[in-house]
Amino acid sequence: MNQEYITVSHLSKKFARKEVLKDVNAILHRGEILGFLGPSGAGKTTTIKILTGQLKPDSGTVRILGTDCSRIDESLYEQIGIVTDTSGVYERMTVYDNLKYFARLLGAPLSSIDPLLKRIGLEEQKKQPAGKLSKGQTQRLILARAILHRPKILFLDEPTSGLDPTTALEVHRLLLELKEEGMAIFLTTHNMEEATKLCDHVALLNEGVIVEYGTPEEICLKYNQVKRYRVQLKGGVRHTLTHSPENAGKISHWLEENEIETIHSCEPTLETVFLEVTGRELQ
Amino acid sequence: MKNNQSAANNLLGNKSFKNVHLRKLTAIMEVKWKTLFSKNFIIMPVFSLGFTYLMKVIYDTISEGAVDMSAYALSLGVLMNICMTGIYCVAASLAEEKEKNTLRTLMTSSVSGMEFFLGSLIPVIAMTTIVNVLCVFLSGFSMNAAGWVSYVLITLVSSATGAVIGMIFGIFARNQMSAGTMTTPALLIFMMIPMFSYLNETLEKISGFFFTGIVSEAIANIGSGTAVIDMKGVLILAAEFLVSVVIFLLLYRRNGFESESRVMAWK
Repeated sequence: MNQEYITVSHLSKKFARKEVLKDVNAILHRGEILGFLGPSGAGKTTTIKILTGQLKPDSGTVRILGTDCSRIDESLYEQIGIVTDTSGVYERMTVYDNLKYFARLLGAPLSSIDPLLKRIGLEEQKKQPAGKLSKGQTQRLILARAILHRPKILFLDEPTSGLDPTTALEVHRLLLELKEEGMAIFLTTHNMEEATKLCDHVALLNEGVIVEYGTPEEICLKYNQVKRYRVQLKGGVRHTLTHSPENAGKISHWLEENEIETIHSCEPTLETVFLEVTGRELQ
Repeated sequence: MKNNQSAANNLLGNKSFKNVHLRKLTAIMEVKWKTLFSKNFIIMPVFSLGFTYLMKVIYDTISEGAVDMSAYALSLGVLMNICMTGIYCVAASLAEEKEKNTLRTLMTSSVSGMEFFLGSLIPVIAMTTIVNVLCVFLSGFSMNAAGWVSYVLITLVSSATGAVIGMIFGIFARNQMSAGTMTTPALLIFMMIPMFSYLNETLEKISGFFFTGIVSEAIANIGSGTAVIDMKGVLILAAEFLVSVVIFLLLYRRNGFESESRVMAWK
């Protein structure tokens, strides 16, 4: 059994009178990716802030690498990496100097900077001031800085939000590599494709409540009670059919008559599950 | 609400204010030293040096060499330097770290509050002291060895006080612009009152209670060959340094380097 890096038990949090997290439970093991999936205002960022010691929970317990989140100190920050949309870079300093600064702060060897720059595709921008990087490049620099010291846990708040598809794919590839290397990754996203692709477990969060928790496959299969098929006939006519003897007969007939252009089963996605459970869109 | 506050304090290093690692401290100091040479900040020490020299030239021209005004020229430059470099640069630098979100990144990258505090202050105090020494040469002011020791010590303590006051303003400032707005009244008070204290008795009395006023008086005393600083001056210098440190610590314990509202606004 893999080590538990994060344990969240009955976590609740209120801002003024509004309850933003209600009885949240989750576990993240070494070498796993756990995704908190939900629309804006669902409580994802609050969760990350609590997990990283930036906010204190009202009730419940959160343990990070065996330490209660209220006792997170500098030594624990050396074992975690954090990427949020408000992570800043030193704009006047070069890409290399930004990483060098944090390598010195975090006690990482300076020799690790060049291979890391190559890995994240910022080798050519090494001597460029960070303020002149594009948004995607800045995001990669922030990510590089967060993994520079080989943290045990990486926290990512909407890591690919606002990135172009190519950069987002590169980030996904890097995250999967880091996971393979044993890093535990906690990410929040409202992108269900990203969650499905990356996460070992996802928590669907709606108004501070986890409405579903499990592997993406488990969750989708759970809501795959009414099997559907999408059929496009050669004439261009499209049909969405539920699984029934009558419809099976229809499909069989079309197959015999060679009338089918395409046929797909319609499994639920995390997005449709979310919509079904909460009545809300993810985006 | 109280819980949130504690968490914010925790994040910003309150609990481990005593922890200082030399490796981290030198890294922060190096970056802060380089920041002082950026165009936003270097203008302040350069302006102080230029002002000192300009005043020397103007006074020399006006008095046609009959009266030695070098002490006053030096005094003007030093006051400007302690206020502009000491107070403004520290406040603006801390505000810039908040504005660019690098402060939060530092604090979640294992930097303690004390490391950031010392790492931010030491380069500014060093820069202010170097400029104070250069001002002596530019003003044409001459001192014996004892005068130099007194001058360096008094300006060093004043620079440190100014830097801590700058840090206090930095706690409240959200960005560089607000740092400028907030520090301006303090700069005017700490700089202008001692500068014009010779014009008005009331101003002179008030000036005697400011660390900048003590510096100005000490320079005049070195120039006239009288006792550099009296016990009252020593007490005022020490008390203002300690009071500024205590105020800083109280504010820091309450809000950290960033106010709670900003941590919450981050949500």
